[in-house]
Amino acid sequence: MAALEVRNVTVTYRGRTGIKNASLEAESGEIIGFIGADGAGKSSLMHAIAGVHRFDGEISVFGEVYHTPKEAEKIKPHTGLMPQGIGLVLYETLTVSEHLDFFADIHSLHRDAAFKAYRDKLLHMAGLAPFTGRQAGKLSGGMMQKLSLICTLLHRPRLLILDEPTTGVDPLSRLELWEILDNIRKAEGTIVLVSTAYMQEAAKMDRVLLFDEGEIIARGTASALIESVRPYTYEEGICDKRSSTGKACFSFDKRSYTLENVDAAHAEPTLEALFFVNALQKKRTLPTIEIEAREHAIEMPPIVMEARGLTKRFGDFVADDHIDMQLRSGEIVGLLGANGAGKTTFIKMLLGLYPIDEGELSLLGKSIRSSEDRQALKAQIGYVSQHFALYNDMTVRENLLYFANMHRIAVPTALKRIERYARELGFADYMEYTPGELPLGINQRFSVAAALLHEPVVLFLDEPTSGVDTIARAQFWEMLHRLKTSWGISILITTHYMSEAEYCDRVVLLRQGRKVADDTVEALYRKHPDAKTFEDIFLNYYRSDA
Amino acid sequence: MRLSVIRAYMRKEFTELFRTKLIVMVYLLPFMIMLLFGYGIRLEVTHARTLIIDNDKSHLSRMLTEKFEHSKYFNAKETQMSEAEALHRIKQAKEDAVVIIPASFEKRILHGLKSEIGIFVDGAFPNRAMTIESYIEGVVLNAAQEAGALKKGASGGLIVINNRNLFNQAMRDADAIVPGLIGLVLLVAPAILAALLIVKEKERGTIFNFYASSLGRGEFLAAKLIPAFLLHSLNIFILFLMATKLFDVPFRGSFVLFWGAAEVYILISLSIGMLISVITNRQIVAVVLTVIITIIPGFLYSGILMPISSMVGESYVEAHLFPVMYFNHIVYDCFLGGMGLSSAKTAAYLGILVVYALILLGLGTLFLKKELK
Repeated sequence: MAALEVRNVTVTYRGRTGIKNASLEAESGEIIGFIGADGAGKSSLMHAIAGVHRFDGEISVFGEVYHTPKEAEKIKPHTGLMPQGIGLVLYETLTVSEHLDFFADIHSLHRDAAFKAYRDKLLHMAGLAPFTGRQAGKLSGGMMQKLSLICTLLHRPRLLILDEPTTGVDPLSRLELWEILDNIRKAEGTIVLVSTAYMQEAAKMDRVLLFDEGEIIARGTASALIESVRPYTYEEGICDKRSSTGKACFSFDKRSYTLENVDAAHAEPTLEALFFVNALQKKRTLPTIEIEAREHAIEMPPIVMEARGLTKRFGDFVADDHIDMQLRSGEIVGLLGANGAGKTTFIKMLLGLYPIDEGELSLLGKSIRSSEDRQALKAQIGYVSQHFALYNDMTVRENLLYFANMHRIAVPTALKRIERYARELGFADYMEYTPGELPLGINQRFSVAAALLHEPVVLFLDEPTSGVDTIARAQFWEMLHRLKTSWGISILITTHYMSEAEYCDRVVLLRQGRKVADDTVEALYRKHPDAKTFEDIFLNYYRSDA
Repeated sequence: MRLSVIRAYMRKEFTELFRTKLIVMVYLLPFMIMLLFGYGIRLEVTHARTLIIDNDKSHLSRMLTEKFEHSKYFNAKETQMSEAEALHRIKQAKEDAVVIIPASFEKRILHGLKSEIGIFVDGAFPNRAMTIESYIEGVVLNAAQEAGALKKGASGGLIVINNRNLFNQAMRDADAIVPGLIGLVLLVAPAILAALLIVKEKERGTIFNFYASSLGRGEFLAAKLIPAFLLHSLNIFILFLMATKLFDVPFRGSFVLFWGAAEVYILISLSIGMLISVITNRQIVAVVLTVIITIIPGFLYSGILMPISSMVGESYVEAHLFPVMYFNHIVYDCFLGGMGLSSAKTAAYLGILVVYALILLGLGTLFLKKELK
């Protein structure tokens, strides 16, 4: 009998199927990765195994069998669950050390020397030892996730369930989270179930389960799964010919995918290929994205927006320290940096949401000084915030109309534009749904539509792709590229997916409020010849002592 | 139930309460309700603007007029204007009442004949009008009694009345309202706090620490309810001091009875908050729902606005369904009556409160599930 056995588990949420007939086995010390689009059933299965949601079927952990959350009580001393969402299990006003004390107490741990040594080891691994007195609400996203993880590890669970622990976390913190996890499972023999949206991470797991529409559709080691899709993976570029003949084909991250035999060079697949091949096999067609020119043609100057020496202080803390940046017409700029490096603060200054402590800002050659200037600035800018500020009680159409009203767009014009964007950005079928009922990928596209209603000259996107599945991300980037060419708009985007950085025309890297790089991706690769991926470049900047 | 676990969870609750400054609300809300309602509600009428038309100009009529002029309840003025003019002034809302003494008033009284005094009252606010009317009647009867005493032998048809008010002899508003407010405050405030403490964790996501750990349901509830219970127990004393010192309400009964009943009552309130937290997932919804569920019955059926005994039909039944009526009976007895448990009704009501608390606590524990919905 395996240490963890899940047999035919089905979970339903208010009549909707979360996961159907899922089975899996795992042995001590194994790390099993769950991958799949959001809503594919990963969280449902995790909740069932952790005994926090009702399910049909049977689960046995270390010989203890349970069928209900009530029966699962007996394994709870031996399990740890970290649910999805940054800092979700943390209490904002409690300090790091108070959290450790609290979690130790609710698990009735004895504060002996061994406990203290283990606690210090965890703190040290998480790099939180210098911050034991800091309140959780004042930690960066990456630190919050590391604290959540060590709190979950404190009672030495033998089964660890982590639901997207790294989503929205910067590459450096992600690496550190992985090191903690790897050390612990080796030292403690823990079974680890972990879901992730980052395929590089999934590749490090012992086994990977691919979820789609409430079912586990593929499983195996990462390399075996990658082999299975090798025949369908080609060098980028075959799709242009395909799509003209109406055949299904996807392109993303320098690769193209099709089920047909094509006389072209094969590329080395990654786990992301699984999603595309699955979509092709299920004959899913994606809406084509075509973006026409803006209604009111305007002469775009070469430099749309310029920041000189922009500085923001919160008390003694300098969030942004004299940052210069130019945003040019028809250019996508990637703003990268660890959690807490000052990206969101910088964007909020550009938006006129935060007063600028020092420095100068100009839009379309006009300096922004007075509050009227700032008002005019907002009319020229489109902004999609980290969490898509949508109203959950209104349908997509009502949301868009509301945003059009805010920009004082005449109703006939607004209705026409909404129809047009729905068609062009491919969400016309979802107009009568509320955002809560839709997958993140759709919400993300219609948030962009809301930000474009007033035909801005600059578009700011704050982590629009966090937690969004691979195919939706591929579509999203295709949309941005089309928007850039047909509108001549300038786009500033932040992201934690380093592979997405390569889609930007230029990359600006922030570290602790300072700009440490501002260059094209090619130039950065030339500067760092030993970097294999952009992630290596990013880590180089963060690891060197600057 | 592991005491060390409950203690640790409670320590966290207290730390959060202080750091999020929610503790301010725990004491400010009851204080504000007491202050605002205590000074804000006025049921008695003073300085009613009254015109007196004396068509008799006799010794007796002058005595009657003086009675009005010397009363704190009236701002009385004798006037020469005509009846029509005087009534017009009521229409213009310049006067509250007009009293008309007929000609040969004294003569008729002395001869033992009936005499009619005209009283006109502005009925725009019926309660107020009725109060004024009864005050006027009181003054007239009082005068009639004195007149009878002065002129011995002619006391034939004159009535001797004794309109003493029991329990609240001074007829002070504060005495009537403030004890009832305690019943309102102790129903609303603990319920809000209890609902918030649980729903806050649901909204934030920290509820997973309870769902996914070996923490028992009883342990979780104890850790949530005990801090709220302790903090609000202090409010019992604060409210008592406000009532007796600030509003000068007399306290005639047993403090131990008042205190004990209040603690049971707080438990009921906490259980209502806990039940609300079972069905809501958002703090704002929890607060609004708690306010609606507690304030309306807490006020309507508190006995502040009207006595329960004078209610009929549905309202009488509803009043008996909510706990506030039983508690207020005990509170009013403690402040104004002083019978204590020797009154069978008070003892029975205390018993009802205890049963109420046990049932609600049981329901809350039953419905609280350790799983996602």
